[in-house]
Amino acid sequence: MADTVADVQQHEAHGHVDHHHEQSWVSKYVFSVDHKIIALQYLFTGMFMGIIGGYMAYVFRMQLAFPGISVPGFGQVSPGEYNALITNHGSIMIFWVAMPVLIAAFGNFLIPLMIGADDMVFPRINRLSFQVFFVSSVVLLLSLFVEGGGFGGAWTSYPPLSASGDYNQTELGATLWLLAVALEFVAFLLGGINFITTLMNSRAPGMRAYDIPLVCWMIVIASILFMLSVGPLLAGAVMLLFDQVLNTGFYDPARGGDPILWQHLFWFFGHPEVYVVLLPAIGITVEVMATFARKKIFGYKMVLYTAVATGVLSFFVWAHHQFVAGIDPRMANVFTITTLLISVPIAEMLFVMIATLYGGSITLTTPMLWALSFMAEFLIGGVTGIFLGASGADIYFHDTYFVLAHFHYTFFPIAIIGTFCAFTYWFPKMFGRMMNDTLGKIHFWGTIIPFNFIFIPLFVLGMGGQHRRIYNFQHFPDIAGPEYFQLRQIATIALLVMLAFQLVFFYNVIVSWMKGEKAGKNPWKANTLEWTTESPPPHGNWPVDELPTVYRGPYEYGHPDREEDYWPQNLPG
Amino acid sequence: MSENIHHDDHGHDDHHVNYTKIYLTLLVLFVISVLGPELGIRWVTLITAFGIAIVKARLVVNNFMHLAWEKRIVKWVLATSLILMFLMVAGVAPDVMNHEGNNWENVAAKAEVERGLAYMAGYGGEEEEEGEAEVVVAAGFNAEVSFGQICATCHGAGGAGDGVAGAALDPPPASFTDPAFWETRDRERIKTVIRDGAAAVGGSALMAPWGALYTEEQLDQVTDYVMSFNPGNE
Amino acid sequence: MAHARPIATTRSATGIPTPRLAVWWILASEVVIFGGLLGAYLMHRLGHPEWAEAASHTQTWIGALNTFVLLTSSFTAVLAHQAAEKGNGKQAAKFLGFTIIGALLFLVIKSYEWTTEILAGYTITANNFWSFYYTAAGLHALHVIAGAIIMGFVAVDAFRGRELHRVEIIGIYWHFVDVVWIFLFPLLYIAK
Repeated sequence: MADTVADVQQHEAHGHVDHHHEQSWVSKYVFSVDHKIIALQYLFTGMFMGIIGGYMAYVFRMQLAFPGISVPGFGQVSPGEYNALITNHGSIMIFWVAMPVLIAAFGNFLIPLMIGADDMVFPRINRLSFQVFFVSSVVLLLSLFVEGGGFGGAWTSYPPLSASGDYNQTELGATLWLLAVALEFVAFLLGGINFITTLMNSRAPGMRAYDIPLVCWMIVIASILFMLSVGPLLAGAVMLLFDQVLNTGFYDPARGGDPILWQHLFWFFGHPEVYVVLLPAIGITVEVMATFARKKIFGYKMVLYTAVATGVLSFFVWAHHQFVAGIDPRMANVFTITTLLISVPIAEMLFVMIATLYGGSITLTTPMLWALSFMAEFLIGGVTGIFLGASGADIYFHDTYFVLAHFHYTFFPIAIIGTFCAFTYWFPKMFGRMMNDTLGKIHFWGTIIPFNFIFIPLFVLGMGGQHRRIYNFQHFPDIAGPEYFQLRQIATIALLVMLAFQLVFFYNVIVSWMKGEKAGKNPWKANTLEWTTESPPPHGNWPVDELPTVYRGPYEYGHPDREEDYWPQNLPG
Repeated sequence: MSENIHHDDHGHDDHHVNYTKIYLTLLVLFVISVLGPELGIRWVTLITAFGIAIVKARLVVNNFMHLAWEKRIVKWVLATSLILMFLMVAGVAPDVMNHEGNNWENVAAKAEVERGLAYMAGYGGEEEEEGEAEVVVAAGFNAEVSFGQICATCHGAGGAGDGVAGAALDPPPASFTDPAFWETRDRERIKTVIRDGAAAVGGSALMAPWGALYTEEQLDQVTDYVMSFNPGNE
Repeated sequence: MAHARPIATTRSATGIPTPRLAVWWILASEVVIFGGLLGAYLMHRLGHPEWAEAASHTQTWIGALNTFVLLTSSFTAVLAHQAAEKGNGKQAAKFLGFTIIGALLFLVIKSYEWTTEILAGYTITANNFWSFYYTAAGLHALHVIAGAIIMGFVAVDAFRGRELHRVEIIGIYWHFVDVVWIFLFPLLYIAK
């Protein structure tokens, strides 16, 4: 490859047309094909949906802690509304927050910059992907306001409840919800193909497979997982749509259909989906840890291989969601074993993080705090997963608050901590200014501490046998001991505190964006290629004749032969 | 891979494939795959229908799509997606194809299979069977049962407004055993509220519309059942 | 707005041109979509022996005719690719035109087939076999329609001698549509 570098650059200079022509505001920011603008569109849409999802959590937590009160900013919650709120909270947080922000926003922003390309390989498909995603968000929000109200059959949408308006009472809401999810999948298929082909083909001259920063690998592996797992669910969604609209009987046992089939199709996608969002978050965390520990990542290849192993294994664990659904007991054994197995590669990744930190010169900046808390919180989520993965224990824990607390301890570190970690780390590159570190730390502690106060009580509630998806526990005196009300109230109050602290974050973003300290090209003294260009990078990322060439891996910190403790990938010699 | 030697990067490949020959082979295979199953022998059908489909697909994929000359990574990608599909089917089949467990049986699915098999065995009997089915459906509706399943959740099985789910509602669910309730209600109003919800007559939105659940006839039956709670009727 | 092509599109670290690489990935994701649907169908089919009765009402000869039409359109698509490789855009456009005609013929035959079946009472709700029948064939027909439309654009460009590499890309997609039908045909029509 090295001998053709000059050729390639010459060839590239020829093929290039000046990027710096005048554009109107609309074509620059709304219909842009620039990967960085599309990334910001995804980021802000995702954050907006995140606010809505948080608001929903606020409303139904208030109803749970203080049943029957008129919730400030919403009013009294009816049972139907409660179901719609929890359903759409789940759907939004996974499909419209975690995926667009972690994969689409940071994937779009980072992949071309980190591999030294000037854009995605299919910029217009990229724009189409966002447009489809945007339409899907609008459809989802509309579904909340149609006749009958929003869909209330949980984000897993099990038939026969979801298959017929006679059962769920939200005929239109359920159909629109399903359409929105399907559109969202299409958007991510379009985006995923872009990420994968860009990483495979458009790397800077000299960049070998093991010179690619881990976060890019992780986002691409996640996209591959998504592409290979979502197909059966898309087919299943078409069948469910026909059940709803045309009154077919795919999932109706009385007509020879099988509701369990939907569960299988859903979880065949649904479980890999967890790793689809987990891998990018791990990638972000390792990236940040290497920079702030000033150390090479311990076992780059190990992380990469374990990510692939996790990806492969993640296809064989899906039925652990169905242990109580009446599945074949022999299969339950198989899936228990695979489920427990998958904790091995994940544990390996956490050990790699610890080994990377060991002996490093650690700076506790805001992004680093987020990265460290990711490890701690995700560990709790992972360990409680072992209980649920064992089919015997799961029969007791199934559909209790224990499950709920478990997956919030995984998804919160992934979607929220991962996002804040990446956002605070790459903020200087995105907007050209530094974020206020003090405000950042206040926001960090104000989020992490209440988070634990929300979900640790829920573990206790779950072990006490309290079931999820119950509108008002007063109706079920058998399982709702009065002592549990206090725990529910603690969780709700902690949620209020956490939500209040998010205001600090938004204040920080606005103030730092307006008058933060200028960041310069490389404020963190990091090695990867995105730090070699201006902040924010211009259209085209680098001047045409200065596209970087890569000479070494991305984590060469503290090399003994060098005076500085970092060694950017693009420096010759 | 030896076939990659002939390949350069820009698609100007020189494969020496005789497309016409491949096409004619495909046509011959196609004719066999249509004629083979006509014999009606099960294993001949399986081989000619599915075996030949695989051969045909291979021919198209290798020669028309040029997968044979493609880089190894593409073959890996496609193989992975195919293998995943087989594994998915293997994981799902024990549930979806089995209608029985150790301690339970899927009565509905079994009944459906038996009904279908009976239908196959005795052709011509179909009209009577369908007729019977309709009678069953019509006879299957019972206003009391329906009240017990739907209304009683809030209004209570005895109609006294004491259902479990109603305990926290504000305003509380109506009690049909209370004479005061009936002073301002007539049959038409009860029917409207069941069909369109109480909000339709200015009442609480917590009484949801249930019209989608009932036919006009069934609605009348449920209304009559609710009317029967009226203590003044005695 | 005329977009300059990013330099990223001119690179090829794997040695496979990016558009071709992308279409292979698209096909991988299509394999799992059709795989999920046909897998579900197959499991139900094997679990419900009584579906054989419903299946005996499918019209094998129409399905066979459509198989022939698609095979032939695949053949003309590969001839178009051959012409495009030689740089003969007009020839490529002509063969793509034949392929589009094949696609239209396929759809016409399909509409005739569905019309007779629906008139005979075999609607999508008649039985789960028919639900799967219409869903699987319908999803496939959507791919035929999409392919024909894209092929129209490619053919117009090819006729003017532009973007000849796209002829191969749309061809690969078209052959995949053909391969799906090669499996749908025995699954829906032949196995009785």
